Amino acid sequence: MNPIDMPATIVQATTTEDLLLAVHSIAQGPLAQRAQAIDEGAYPEDLLKQLASLGAMGAHIDRPGQPGDYMATIAAMAEVGKVCGATAFMMWCQSVCALYMDASDNPALKGERLTAHLAGKGLGGTGLSNPMKSFAQIETFLLKATPTDGGYLVNGTLPWVSNLAGDHYFGAIASVVGEASKEVMFILKCDAPGVTLKGCPKFSGMEGTGTYAVQCKDLFIGAEDIVADPARPFIRNIRAAFVMLQCGIAAGIIQGAIDSMWAVEDQLGHVNQFLDDRPDQLQAELDDLLARVAELAKTPYDNSNEFFIDVLNARIDGGELCLRAANSALMHQGARGYLMQSPVQRRVREAQFVAIVTPAIKHLRKEVAALCSEDMPA
Amino acid sequence: MNTQPADAAPFQQYICNACGLIYDEAKGDPDSGLPPGTRFADIPDDWECPLCAVTKKDFSPYTPPDLSKPRTTPAASKRPTGKKESAGVVIVGAGHAGWQVAQAIRATDAGLPITLVTACSGDVYDKPLLSVALTKRLPLPQLVRETGAQAASRLGVRLLAHTQATRICTRTNTLTTTRGNQPFDELVLAHGAQVALPPNLPAELCWRVNHLDAYLKFRAAIAGAPQHIAIIGAGLIGSELANDLALAGHRVTLLDQAPTPLARWSPADAGEPVLTAWKHLPIAFVGQVSIASIDNVTGEGNSVRMVTTACGQRIEADHVLVATGLSTPNRLALSAGLAWHNGIAVDATTLATSHAHIHALGDCITINGLASRYIEPIGRQAATIAAKLAARRAGAPDTECPLPYVVKPAVVRVKTTSCPLTLH
Repeated sequence: MNPIDMPATIVQATTTEDLLLAVHSIAQGPLAQRAQAIDEGAYPEDLLKQLASLGAMGAHIDRPGQPGDYMATIAAMAEVGKVCGATAFMMWCQSVCALYMDASDNPALKGERLTAHLAGKGLGGTGLSNPMKSFAQIETFLLKATPTDGGYLVNGTLPWVSNLAGDHYFGAIASVVGEASKEVMFILKCDAPGVTLKGCPKFSGMEGTGTYAVQCKDLFIGAEDIVADPARPFIRNIRAAFVMLQCGIAAGIIQGAIDSMWAVEDQLGHVNQFLDDRPDQLQAELDDLLARVAELAKTPYDNSNEFFIDVLNARIDGGELCLRAANSALMHQGARGYLMQSPVQRRVREAQFVAIVTPAIKHLRKEVAALCSEDMPA
Repeated sequence: MNTQPADAAPFQQYICNACGLIYDEAKGDPDSGLPPGTRFADIPDDWECPLCAVTKKDFSPYTPPDLSKPRTTPAASKRPTGKKESAGVVIVGAGHAGWQVAQAIRATDAGLPITLVTACSGDVYDKPLLSVALTKRLPLPQLVRETGAQAASRLGVRLLAHTQATRICTRTNTLTTTRGNQPFDELVLAHGAQVALPPNLPAELCWRVNHLDAYLKFRAAIAGAPQHIAIIGAGLIGSELANDLALAGHRVTLLDQAPTPLARWSPADAGEPVLTAWKHLPIAFVGQVSIASIDNVTGEGNSVRMVTTACGQRIEADHVLVATGLSTPNRLALSAGLAWHNGIAVDATTLATSHAHIHALGDCITINGLASRYIEPIGRQAATIAAKLAARRAGAPDTECPLPYVVKPAVVRVKTTSCPLTLH
């Protein structure tokens, strides 16, 4: 199916099955044709808007008469991730940005702004990589917010924020100048005065993700853009949902890798039988993982440490299974999978991305270790 | 998409035997001058595979696999999941139980891979000495009999220290840890128990000294000058610590819900003699109270803890130490779906959990719902597990247990040095 074959008006799917069918047809149609171009640098704004308008990046958000369903958003992301990990990652960006707006107490972020975002009329991302690493004492905060009349003035540069373009926006966190351990979270508009998007050095893959360094010089953040002030209690409430949603990217890449193993089984099964990590073994592990994620997805806002450890473990397993599945798929396909145009080698790089994108496997393990340690008097 | 005349044969696909490229008659190869609908038979012999440049004689008819149905690989290609060779035994916990079982298993097999995963350093020490060491003012290095690395080297054990085990996957027989997944053939849980901190007591204000790391921090905090220490809980641990802290020169207020200390035993046998012996020590026992709150109070440049009882008494102390009994962390057991009965439920004679390849010993287990958190049984438990695993490696059925464990009533030596007691 070509983009022009898409119906002129896309109606938001009403059931998860309808949603996944509609996402499937975009993924296997126009997205499949453009996956390599996206890997090389083409930002698929039109496809993201189509996916959003179906409800693919908003199914986890409560709407009147329809409670949010995290597993539906995760499944939609996975459907796309089978074909293109980069686009699944951008769906995650859009989905967590929706989470920030929806979970905020600020009414200015709800209503029309949230509705437009959920419908894909606005596209957004998340700049929480640096703050998440700062909370885990891996980095220090790169954005500083100085209190001023009616808001804050924000300065600093965030590297590598994705799903951006001139008129996009994203959730960001800055440390508040003059206050120890206090941060403010806000929606940063890319076209606001004082904001400059700078191109990033070339990555080894997933180049079409609209990823930029964001420079802020005396950027004014007013009340209407505040997500949470202070940010820490808010982060504690959304941290599990944030991490959980990433399992959709992993699940898609793993399933895509498994499918590519079966695709060559008839020709190469006689020799592939000597490999580790055969497709049915990987499928069993993926199915187990998805069953765990489905259970966790029932209570995404549980803010207990025990629950968060379970979510972090699921995300770690997703990253590790991605690496094994993508690598094994390349072993199964052999030279044909190593061709530059083959999705099989592209998926190896996508899997590596899942393993290193914030929170990376090492970061996740550090976080679990911290959550496991007993709190004692100082 | 190209359409075909209704009377024509369906379009076929052909696969390049060299690179796997699929030639679809419906699509043709327009880049090489083959319009859509070009039959394979009509392709000129000098046509080359657009990817790898072999010619059409290296193509075979291809039927796309039906990926919509679940498939399984042939049985011949199945292998044990998650491990390429023997994954051996993985032990969780490096307290007395963990090291005892490592040593017992090593004694049965010099070459078996043994991995020990522990949240602490793995240093070997005698827990009962921790309290006594306060009185004897033992220098801290003397508490460690052997470092974790030394013990690991002596026993040929791979030690993962400062590593948290957070999940057991019984499909792949792997243990999830913060330093990666550890495959196992046999898993032994020896992770002990934790002080059960009542929910209204803030963790950041309450010491719990159930392992060496916490003990060392506590001792550093009370070093220097005599302190006033409030101990919540006058069971065995609370009473021993009260005794030893007092003998070490500190002032102690010992609080408990019961009217006398050591209330598990009869007051005449335990609580009353101890209270009599404590008369000349700076220990104030406050019985029949429950704790309402513990707060930080700042005054005169330093902060102290204010312990408030439910009946309104307020006790100001430099430190609060909680000894309200132990409970077993349930994360690992829950993740593996192990039977649970106030702790990890194990078989009374084999010490197997409800999973045949997971055994457990020490403070984390219960037998018929009862925990027995004493030192004496641990050596016998380790021997039972080591013998059972050795028999199984030699081909015995899962249930065979050459050295059955015997539950014996615990004889408790109360090391309240001011009034040593032996209780049954």
